[in-house]
Amino acid sequence: MIGPSIHIKGTVSGGEDLLIQGKVEGTIDLGDHEVSVGQSGKVTADIKAKIVKIEGEVAGDVTGSEKVVIAKSGRVRGNIIAPRVTLEDGAIFKGSIDMDPGDTRTDVQTAAPKAEKPVAAAAPAGNQKPGLDQKHG
Amino acid sequence: MSPQPQVSQLLPSVLQHVVEGQRVTVLDVGPALPETVAFFSAVPCTLHIADLFSALPLTPEDDGPSYIEQFRKLLPLPAATRFDICLFWDLFNYLPVAAASALLEVLHPHLHADTRGHAFGVHKRGTPEDSRIHGILNADTLTLRSRRQLLPGYAPMPQAQLQTVLADFRFERSVLLADSRLEFLLGMRQEKREKRT
Repeated sequence: MIGPSIHIKGTVSGGEDLLIQGKVEGTIDLGDHEVSVGQSGKVTADIKAKIVKIEGEVAGDVTGSEKVVIAKSGRVRGNIIAPRVTLEDGAIFKGSIDMDPGDTRTDVQTAAPKAEKPVAAAAPAGNQKPGLDQKHG
Repeated sequence: MSPQPQVSQLLPSVLQHVVEGQRVTVLDVGPALPETVAFFSAVPCTLHIADLFSALPLTPEDDGPSYIEQFRKLLPLPAATRFDICLFWDLFNYLPVAAASALLEVLHPHLHADTRGHAFGVHKRGTPEDSRIHGILNADTLTLRSRRQLLPGYAPMPQAQLQTVLADFRFERSVLLADSRLEFLLGMRQEKREKRT
């Protein structure tokens, strides 16, 4: 555990689960383990772990090879890459979430930019006028 | 405030790429909501959440940076990003014409021939504000949450003006909802598709 009064600048890595209640700036890489950012935790770093749970503040990219959970008290600004992402009601998130429920590889590293779709393959748009439907109730 | 479900006739068409099981890239200009994230968690996708509503009112151009500069700062998108789905919700009811045009200009490089959009407007310009936070519960059901306070700058455009402003999009279908609100399914204009070839 990184206690509330601890401030770390640099790289945090290891072979066990970690609870962060203090401040971390840099990078956090715990491989197949779990990182929890507690309510008093403030992280300005990229985080990589198997499971990432966020109850505090994170500014940075978060990669969870299994899942990422942002709790109701969590505030995240950055990009998330994980097969599954859960956001609790009240959580604040700004950024992008790259999800693939069928992809549980641990080597999910970066969001590969998607190739631009060929415009020539577009379906014909047609020239029909916009329809207006009445919805009751 | 617990979310209220609302069946949408247009949502299945907006989400057609998702229903077909394609990997999709989605822009949601509203705040991040649990149900929306949960819905897209079930499919391979990249979901960009920007919450442009939290930036309202935008700084008038005379008093600061241009609307384009403001949106570029609010939407720091990687150059390669191409959206399959744009969820605008009722944002255009709160943007001056110049700001709405600027948003579309900023988004233009990130749209492609099959991009689909969803938006709410009003049937009559004098329609009272009914500000909600929108989410997606499933492929044909939205969720609505009342906002704690009204948003600044409510000035909805008539549909004809909105069609002019949203130059990249054509209004494929509109549904008249209760309280004179309109729900729009947006597709790309043919001429824009041809220009981009």
